[in-house]
Amino acid sequence: TIGLQVSSGLQDLSLRDRGGRRRDFHDLGVNTRQAMVHVQESKTGFSGRMVKLTTNHFRLTSRPQWALYQYHVGYSPEMEARRLRSALLFQHEEHIGKTHAFDGSILFLPKKLENKVTELFSRTRNGEDVKITVTLTNELPPTSPTCLQFYNIIFRRLLKMLNLQQIGRNYYNPSDPVSIPNHRLMVWLGFTSSILQYEENIMLCADVSHKVLRGETVLDTMHSLHSQVGEERFRDTCAKELIGLIVLTRYNNRTYRIDDIDWDNNPKGTFRKSDGSEMSFVEYYKKQYNIEISDWMQPVLISQMKRKRGNIQGSVALIPELCSLTGLTDKMRNDFNMMKDLAIHTRLPPEQRQREIGRLLNYIQKDDNVQKELRNWGLSFDYKSVSFTGRVVQGEKIFQSGNMFDYNPQFADWTKETRGVPLIRAVPVDNWLLIYTRRNYDVANTLLQSLFKVTPSMGIRMNKPNMIEVDDRTEAYLRVLQQRVTPDTNIVVCILSSSRKDKYDAIKKYLCTECPIPSQCVLARTLSKPQTIMTVATKIALQMNCKMGGELWSVEIPLKQVMIVGIDCYHDTVSGRQSIAGFVASLNQTVTRWFSRCVVQSRGQELVDGIKACLQTALRNWSKWNKCLPSRIFVYRDGVGDGQLNTLVNYEVPQFLDCLKSIGTDYSPRLTVIVVKKRVGARFFAEIGGGLKNPPPGTVVDTVVTRPEWYDFFIVSQTVKNGCVAPTHYNVIYDTSQLKPDHVQRLTYKLCHMYYNWSGIIRVPAPCQYAHKLAFLVGQSIHREPNLMLSDRLYYL
Amino acid sequence: MDKNFQEEFTQIIKFKPPLYKQRHQFVKDLVEKYKPKKVADLGCADCSLLRMLKFCSCIEVLAGLDICANVMKEKMYTLSPLPVDYLQPSERSLTITLHHGSVAHKDPCMLGFDLVTCIELIEHLEEPELKKFPEVVFGFMAPSIVVISTPNSEFNPLLPGVMLYRHPDHKFEWNQAQFQSWALETARCYDYSVEFTGVGHPPTGMEKAGFCTQIGVFTRKNPQTGKSVQSEKPAEAVYKTVFKAVYPSLKDEKYLQNAVISEVIFTAQIIKHRLMSKHEEYGNDPERKSKFQPSMDCFSDCLGKLVVEKNMEPFVSGNEVHIPLATIFSFPKVNRLCGTFEKLCKLIAGKVTLSSDGSAVMFNIEHENEDN
Repeated sequence: TIGLQVSSGLQDLSLRDRGGRRRDFHDLGVNTRQAMVHVQESKTGFSGRMVKLTTNHFRLTSRPQWALYQYHVGYSPEMEARRLRSALLFQHEEHIGKTHAFDGSILFLPKKLENKVTELFSRTRNGEDVKITVTLTNELPPTSPTCLQFYNIIFRRLLKMLNLQQIGRNYYNPSDPVSIPNHRLMVWLGFTSSILQYEENIMLCADVSHKVLRGETVLDTMHSLHSQVGEERFRDTCAKELIGLIVLTRYNNRTYRIDDIDWDNNPKGTFRKSDGSEMSFVEYYKKQYNIEISDWMQPVLISQMKRKRGNIQGSVALIPELCSLTGLTDKMRNDFNMMKDLAIHTRLPPEQRQREIGRLLNYIQKDDNVQKELRNWGLSFDYKSVSFTGRVVQGEKIFQSGNMFDYNPQFADWTKETRGVPLIRAVPVDNWLLIYTRRNYDVANTLLQSLFKVTPSMGIRMNKPNMIEVDDRTEAYLRVLQQRVTPDTNIVVCILSSSRKDKYDAIKKYLCTECPIPSQCVLARTLSKPQTIMTVATKIALQMNCKMGGELWSVEIPLKQVMIVGIDCYHDTVSGRQSIAGFVASLNQTVTRWFSRCVVQSRGQELVDGIKACLQTALRNWSKWNKCLPSRIFVYRDGVGDGQLNTLVNYEVPQFLDCLKSIGTDYSPRLTVIVVKKRVGARFFAEIGGGLKNPPPGTVVDTVVTRPEWYDFFIVSQTVKNGCVAPTHYNVIYDTSQLKPDHVQRLTYKLCHMYYNWSGIIRVPAPCQYAHKLAFLVGQSIHREPNLMLSDRLYYL
Repeated sequence: MDKNFQEEFTQIIKFKPPLYKQRHQFVKDLVEKYKPKKVADLGCADCSLLRMLKFCSCIEVLAGLDICANVMKEKMYTLSPLPVDYLQPSERSLTITLHHGSVAHKDPCMLGFDLVTCIELIEHLEEPELKKFPEVVFGFMAPSIVVISTPNSEFNPLLPGVMLYRHPDHKFEWNQAQFQSWALETARCYDYSVEFTGVGHPPTGMEKAGFCTQIGVFTRKNPQTGKSVQSEKPAEAVYKTVFKAVYPSLKDEKYLQNAVISEVIFTAQIIKHRLMSKHEEYGNDPERKSKFQPSMDCFSDCLGKLVVEKNMEPFVSGNEVHIPLATIFSFPKVNRLCGTFEKLCKLIAGKVTLSSDGSAVMFNIEHENEDN
């Protein structure tokens, strides 16, 4: 086989200057399908009705016998500098041709040189004669990983030629930005692109991408934070708001991640230049870029360089005044109004999205220089996107206490159908606390009355709570909890007057760790509208019931003795850089009860060790509930980054197997491990009535745009009100289940119906969403593993 | 060919900073001194000089010309505006253009420049080109200032390993007398004055050798001749434009309007936020109280001073917040952008929701969140 290793120089090219790690972003070298005999022939399902789909993939057509020729270039005497090496080599353009890519030692050409070894002679300006030996080392077929990586490099060159601006990994069109002055935001339209070997063809997957940029400098942001929170909390708030964000600078086209803020430094501070001399920032920016720094009191931002340059791994100091923020902060994401204003511009409906993608292809087709570059490499594209048929699998029936419901598949939601129907398992609320501030006394009563109205039909018995009024201070809430929560308390409901995180965090932390009791926090604001109070109360009642170990509905699960596991990760970028893995495993046959744990991992530790321990306890609990061990285990693994597949296959899966082995020598359940990926570039459009629509929920795609080396498929399970629905990608990386692909697909889709916080179908299997919720709560608020007393309930919903 | 780097290579030991940097610095100093608006670099090669000059705030038009399109193309994208240039458009306008062509040919796109630089260019010219060069640069382009640099062959014996010329592509290298006589003759012919200088000092004791790079700075004697000559000579475009970047600038109404709208709304939002937090007392939350550090809170200061004036008081009426335009206009940033109040009104007309008499920015607060 052909080595994946492109020389480091060319990898630089592909991820140039972006601080990107040298990673195989497309997981090119990982071939998992070959180990699964039962899907060698076919990995496609069969059930459901056909639906005509188009996608955002475009076939790459290269001339017949296209190959890329890889040469090694040697110099005698040895020349050190890369630039000198290129300069000497390119004196011979008549030999090697005008089209080439050279990184200093490896040369790629679209044509084969006459001889396997070519000797060329150059002379340096010092009059030194240099012999250059160009040796053919590889003929790369179009499908080789190196070649694919190379296509991607070429394509990025094209985008640059189209005058698109590179920000991060994608390219954006700066000439026609949308500005949203209300929030000081600017949105640039751009494209993501990747060229990969798909089932039968090499294709370009192009999608619209939006970059949110902020029309203010980091210093501006600091000023407004200061005026919002005041001196005392200023530095903390800056750290919380700014660390982890990506900034652009005024003077170069690089992005940096803010890793720290150096409050003891300022623009008058000095740094050591590469030539060893000391210079102040003020002086440097004036001299180098003619930029006057106006505020000399501002702190300095620190960005760690991810990539080693030479052997130096250091940090870069940045001046807030010269940096602009990109992207959204968590705070902004939580700002409903802002997200609504943004969505108008970023949520493109199918036809518009396809039109925008078409525009990119059009640019490519129309630009002479781009066409010339493509021709030189012998590449061309189909300018019409690929069409094929997918399947819409049949809708699932929802079961609730002996009742069976169909729901309108178009909405993928059964809120209406199940209203007023008893729950599968309603946990009585005999002993509970309702905590509120004086200001929210009325709101608390409204909530209580509404709960009393909605709970009987669900079958929930609810007593009067202990109503407790507190001051609107964190300590006041905590004191009440310490004094009033007893071992008999079923649940604590807190009405909060603002979404200030510290209060919420403190309550959750106390009630998840020190004093493990389910809790429900409600914002007073959400209860203030009379027209929605019943809906809200219904949701709260359901949520409270789940948190106490109740069950709402179920779907038919045809497999017996099966344990379903969901794993997701949360990476805390602010405090201590912890990573948290949420681990959720089913406990019963109907898959309505879950065992939940999480792994809090500090830097340097391996997450998988903790996951192994989780799996062990999950199996123990399953056997306690079912009086036997599961004979089948399905692991849905979410939170896997681009390029991490290899680690998962080679490290995590063997650990799962190890763990199963350790249970007992005669225990060998069937194991299926499925990697779940929400962020994928693929988009599908259903051709309905001459137009393009979002494909209906239940659409399964397992041909054409899947990868030949994987046992993978896409499912569109959810619906969206605006914009394009994003399919979820499922990659079965290990499977001894012997199940047909169709059954694995169906099971996966069924599990998307089982998330109790939403009476509808969601994007991922419920255990993944539970695991996400748990990891998020722990990462955001609790920062350590919650008490195991809670582990048999969905206390984190 | 990349001339800069080749010299850097052997001379980095001798010259600090490297000689090419000294040449660039020389041009930069000249730009700082004469503040030209339009600058052209002939033989711009990999555009490194242009890249440096784009940061000079006096320059509004930058052009590069080279006989080799490939060498220009390699790095030309570094001359594109940066994302931040779009986010915070600058006051000045700037257009950068790269042309592919020869200095032996006239093209009208090279007319009207204030400064033309020919750094290490002439020694690459073949005899016929060199002959036409003065007529094109001094006769046709006729800028106020021309800078020409070229190697001084008298210095070559001091450089290690230089056999004949410093670079294989050099067609000649002149000694000081040769360069000066050519320069003086050219200056005389086209009515320029010329001063000689250079960069790269000879080592002590070898002063006679002169600068490593000799430089002639030509200044047009009659400031008017340039323009009159131009109009007499219509020329056809012969250069090929390979790159053009127009930098976003507040001089462009589109960017100005965006900037003003964004600043107006932002300012109004802040005033509104202040007003609302005063209105709905935030309760007895001690965590919210803050002492302001003067340097970090210019904004509230500014607001405090302004709001006291009559008719500028923002107010709440029902579900609407009114923030008088006059208040917004008095904020330095808005003020600086618009210049006059009339201009402010004109720019935001139809883009920002105003009160019925058009005197105040209006927000509806009915659907707003109280916090966060």
